[in-house]
Amino acid sequence: MKIIVGISDMKVSNKPDDVLITYSLGSCIGVVIWDPVAKVGGMLHYMLPDSSLDKDKAEAKPFMFADTGIPRLFKETYKFGALKNRLIVKVVGGSQIMDSAGIFNIGKRNQAVVRKMFWKNQIMLAKEDVGGTGNRTVSLEIGTGVTHLKVSGRGEFEL
Amino acid sequence: MSRLDEILSLVKHVPPFPKVAQRVSEMLNDPEVSAAALAEVIQYDQVITANVLKICNAAYFGLSRKVSSLDEALVIVGNDTLKDIIITSSSARFYKGAAGEGYKLDQGELWKHSIAVGIMAKELVKYVKDVESGSAYTAGLLHDIGKRFLSSFVADDFKKIMMKVVQDNCSFVEAEKELLGASHAELGGMIMSQWDFPKEIELAVLQHHDPDALEKDPLTAIVALANALVISMGIGVGADGLSVKMQGGGLKRFGITSMHLELCMANLLMELDRAQELFHI
Repeated sequence: MKIIVGISDMKVSNKPDDVLITYSLGSCIGVVIWDPVAKVGGMLHYMLPDSSLDKDKAEAKPFMFADTGIPRLFKETYKFGALKNRLIVKVVGGSQIMDSAGIFNIGKRNQAVVRKMFWKNQIMLAKEDVGGTGNRTVSLEIGTGVTHLKVSGRGEFEL
Repeated sequence: MSRLDEILSLVKHVPPFPKVAQRVSEMLNDPEVSAAALAEVIQYDQVITANVLKICNAAYFGLSRKVSSLDEALVIVGNDTLKDIIITSSSARFYKGAAGEGYKLDQGELWKHSIAVGIMAKELVKYVKDVESGSAYTAGLLHDIGKRFLSSFVADDFKKIMMKVVQDNCSFVEAEKELLGASHAELGGMIMSQWDFPKEIELAVLQHHDPDALEKDPLTAIVALANALVISMGIGVGADGLSVKMQGGGLKRFGITSMHLELCMANLLMELDRAQELFHI
């Protein structure tokens, strides 16, 4: 079954036939994790780096922000038997519009925050496809861990 | 006939914008106007009548109770909201079906993008003085009207346009202009002028992709900024992706910082949840 992950949303599954997919990541980031032994996978689509921007919104929509969304994504897969050191982690998105002044650098800051969090928690990145001006659609097959990425201007490929 | 001539002749044959919308807008400039007089005008357009009821009952406009007749709706809804409702339902017909196909937008995506930019533009009025909320919403809703009519031409030359974007590091609109002779923003400006919209709204549509849009007329700046933010969020973004040029330095004059932009994005996401019904009118 196709399970759509919306903007500021997160989904986890351990059903082999499920495919998690999130459409049109612009400056947002998609975090895709999969445990090859427990055959459980999860996907997060966060929009902004830091929940201190608006505590009430972070309460209502924890997956809107990197710092409140990422830990929840990992914990949710542990419930299905995933282990941190087995998880294959991929990060995509974080594009931005062409602004030489760098005011519209949300994409870059979204990238920076996930790197920092992974560094702190000793999580290795298996693959990443970030930045540029493309928008991305990413999918994860729960049964196989195969990740497909579609980027505007670059076509579709396996990540 | 050259491509550009073809495109320009297409503009001449663009169907008119519903007369009802302009008529009602004029009437609403008089604060004393009666609901009966408004109903008299609106009921001639069945689509708009149906939509007024539908939209009145949408969570986004937050009425305290359901309404079942046009007369009743007009008594409850404030003039500003009524303007927004009329412009929403008048615009919807132009975005129906495969309106953004040439841009690799799925059905309904261009409409969703347009509503999102309209709502974001209203959100930004908080930070920009001298812009009336109704104008911001209208210009936001119609900023991409040119895409609706340029779509099939873009589809024909799609590969060339994309190639140019990738190879020359230019924006999608620059490539459009180069290869087709006109960009969707220019086309939109022409259409707005043909539809007799106020000059400031026409300009906002025309210039929404100018890299220095943030330095221009406040309404133009708002629409360009709203569009840039909605594109960043990935809402209704086609093959053109984020290849949009914008000099962010222009935000200084409004005192808008990165933090404000993030807050606007967060607010819009919440608003869109409430605006769901508008996507399906």
